[in-house]
Amino acid sequence: MSSSIIYVRTYLTRILLIIGCIATLTSWYFVSPHADIVANELYNWNVNIGTFSLFVGVVTLFSRYLKDISSRKEQWEYKFLGVVLIPIWVIMGQTAGVFSDLYQKAYFNTKITLHVAILGQLMFFMISGAYRTYRIRNFRTLLFASCTLIIVVCNASWLMTPFPIADKISYWLLNNPSMAGYRAMMITGAIGAVVMGIRILLGLERGALRATEAR
Amino acid sequence: MISTDPWVWLSALLTICSYTLLYGDNPLFRIAEQVFVSVAVAHSVVMGITTVNTRFGPLLTPAATPQLFITLILGLMSLFVVWRKYAWIASIPISIMIGVGTGLSMRAMMRTDLVGNLSTVIMETSRIFVGSPTDQLGYFIRVTFTLAGLVYLLFTVFIRGPVSKPVGYIRTFGKYVFLTYLGLQVGNDIIMFQGLVTSAVVRLFTTWLGI
Amino acid sequence: MAKIPELKSHHIWAFCLILYLIPVVVPVGSPFQISEITLKIYNIIENLPEGSIIVMGGSGVFAFDYEPGAAMIASIKQMAKNKLRLVGIPLGMESLQLHKYVVDTAKVMQADGGPWKYGVDYVQLPFIPGGDAALVRLLTSVQSVVTVDANGTPLENLPLMKDFRSYKDITLWICPHWGYPSIVRYVTGERGVPSVMFAHAYSYTVYAPYMMIYPDKVWMTNGFLGGAQYEKLVGFKGLGHAAVDSYTLISVAYVFFVVLGNITLLTRVKKEEEEAEAKK
Repeated sequence: MSSSIIYVRTYLTRILLIIGCIATLTSWYFVSPHADIVANELYNWNVNIGTFSLFVGVVTLFSRYLKDISSRKEQWEYKFLGVVLIPIWVIMGQTAGVFSDLYQKAYFNTKITLHVAILGQLMFFMISGAYRTYRIRNFRTLLFASCTLIIVVCNASWLMTPFPIADKISYWLLNNPSMAGYRAMMITGAIGAVVMGIRILLGLERGALRATEAR
Repeated sequence: MISTDPWVWLSALLTICSYTLLYGDNPLFRIAEQVFVSVAVAHSVVMGITTVNTRFGPLLTPAATPQLFITLILGLMSLFVVWRKYAWIASIPISIMIGVGTGLSMRAMMRTDLVGNLSTVIMETSRIFVGSPTDQLGYFIRVTFTLAGLVYLLFTVFIRGPVSKPVGYIRTFGKYVFLTYLGLQVGNDIIMFQGLVTSAVVRLFTTWLGI
Repeated sequence: MAKIPELKSHHIWAFCLILYLIPVVVPVGSPFQISEITLKIYNIIENLPEGSIIVMGGSGVFAFDYEPGAAMIASIKQMAKNKLRLVGIPLGMESLQLHKYVVDTAKVMQADGGPWKYGVDYVQLPFIPGGDAALVRLLTSVQSVVTVDANGTPLENLPLMKDFRSYKDITLWICPHWGYPSIVRYVTGERGVPSVMFAHAYSYTVYAPYMMIYPDKVWMTNGFLGGAQYEKLVGFKGLGHAAVDSYTLISVAYVFFVVLGNITLLTRVKKEEEEAEAKK
C-alpha cells in the first residue's frame, strides 16, 4: 500500500478519535447544542457499530476450527461438535426468538448450567488451596489468613446467631479496611485511565489502533 | 421422584460432565467444555442477528436515513479486525468507538472515581474525631489505609534522599493494607462460589433426582 | 509428635461434596440476622410511591449474576406487591436472559398467577450494544435508542413506555449485574438517580467505595447472604436460603482445613527439628 494512503488512513483515524472524544467532553462540560447533536449522533453510531462486534467471535472460532478439523489436529472431534452445534443453535434461536420460553430453557439448561458448575468448581480448589497455602510462617501469612478466616467465620450463621455482633464486625471490616484498600486502587486506576485517554488523544498510545503503527 | 423433563436431564448430565474435571481431564469434560463454548458463541450470533434486524430493519422502509447506511458500512468494516492483512479497514469504526469511549470514561472517571473518592477521603478526615469510637476508628482506618495504599501504588520508583526512609515505611504499610484487603476479599468470596455449587447440587439432587 | 501426612486434594474435594449433600437431604434451616443495609434497601423500595418506575439494568455474565438474582427475585415480588413498575434494560449479551429468568422465577406475571401485566407493569427492552455510549444515550432519550421491546412490539404500543422517556422518569435503578460502575458513574453520579446493587460477594468489596462517595444514593447488599436476608424480609425461601444453609457447613470445613494445614506444618517443623537434633 502506498505511503500516502497510509498517512491518509492514519490521520483520518486520529481525527475521528479526537472528534469522538471532544464531542463527548464538550457536550457534558459546556452548554452547546451543536456538541450535543454531534455527541448524540456518535452515541447512536457507537450502538450500531457495536452490534457487529457480536459476530467477531463466531468468525474467529470458525476460521480456527475449520482449519484444525481439515488438518485433523489434536482434539478435532470436539471442534467438529462445536462447528455442528453452532448453526443448529442459531437456527433454533432465530426460529423460537431470543426472548421465548424455549430459547430460555435451552440456554439456561446448557450454557448457564455449565458456567455455574465450572465457576462452582473453584470452591473445591479454594478449599484445597487454603489447606496448602494458609500455612502461617511469618507475619504476612498470619495477616492474610486471619483476615480471611475472620470474614469466613463472621458471615456464618452458626456464629451470627448466638453473637449478632458478628454481622456488624463483618460489615465493619468490609466497609473500612477492605474498602480503603480498594479505594486506593480505584483512585490510581482513575488517574491511569485519564492519563491513558490523554495519551490516546495525543497519539502516543500506538497499540490503540493498528493503523497508527508504522509499516 | 426423578424428573421426566429432558431439559433437566440435559442440565444434570452436563453438570456431572463438568464436575468430572475434579477427577482429572477426560472426554466427558471436553464435551461439556465444547458445548459451553459453542452455545456461548452461538448465543452471541443469535443476539447479533436479532439486534441487527431491530436496528437496521428501518433501512428497508421509507424511514431509512443516510446515517443508518453509514453505520451499517462502518459495522461491516469493523468485522475485518479478524484478518491480520485487512485489519486496517477496521481501524476507522474502531477509532470512533475508542474516541467516544475515551471521552466518556475520562469524564466519568474524573468525576466519580477520582474527585469523588478524594473528596470522600477529605470528608472522612474531618470526621475522625466525630461520632462513636467505632465510627472514629473506622474513619481513621479509611483515611490512613487509603493514603498508605496510594503511596504504595504511586511511588513505585525508588526515592532517594531524606524522605526515602519515611516513604519506605509508608509503602511497607501500604503493602500490608493490600494484604488485608485481599484477605478480607477472599474470605467474602467463599460464600459466592459455594452458593454456585449449592445451586448445582440442588439442581442435581432436588430438581433431577427428586431427593 | 507424629508427622501428619499431607492430604490429597481429591480427599478434600470428596469430603466437601459430602458436606454439600447434607443440607440437600436434611435441610439445616440455619437462622441468620438481617443486616442494616439490606433492611435499608428493603424499606427504600417499600416506601416508594405506587406506580414508580424502577429500572433493572446493567451488563454482566449470567452465571456470576446468579448470585444477585436471589435478591432480585425477592425484590421483584416486593415491587409487584407494592404496585411498582419495572423496566428491564439489558446492556450485556446475557443480561436479557437473566432478566427473563428473575421475572419468570418471581412468578409475578398474570400468566403465573401474579398481579403484573406485561406492557403496563413490566416491559423488557431488547439487548442494547454499545456499552457506556448506549447507556448515556438511553438516559437522555429512551426512544431514540430503542424503538421496540424484546418481543418486537413497538414501544408506543406499551402504556408503561409512555411514562418512561428519560432518566427523569426513573425513581430507582437496580443493578443485579457485574457492570455496576457504569451505572454509578452515569446514572447516579452524572444524573443523581439513586441506585441499588444486589452485589456479588466479590463485587461488594470492590464497589463499596461507591457507597461512601454517594452515601444517600448508592446502596449494596452482600452476596448470597444479602439475598437470603432479602428473601426473609419478603417472606419466602429461595436460593439465598439454600446457599446460607450449605455455607454453615462449608465455613466450618474451610476453617478446619486451614487449622489442619497449620498443624501439619507444625508437626513437620517439629519433626525436622528432632531429626536435626538427632543428627547432632
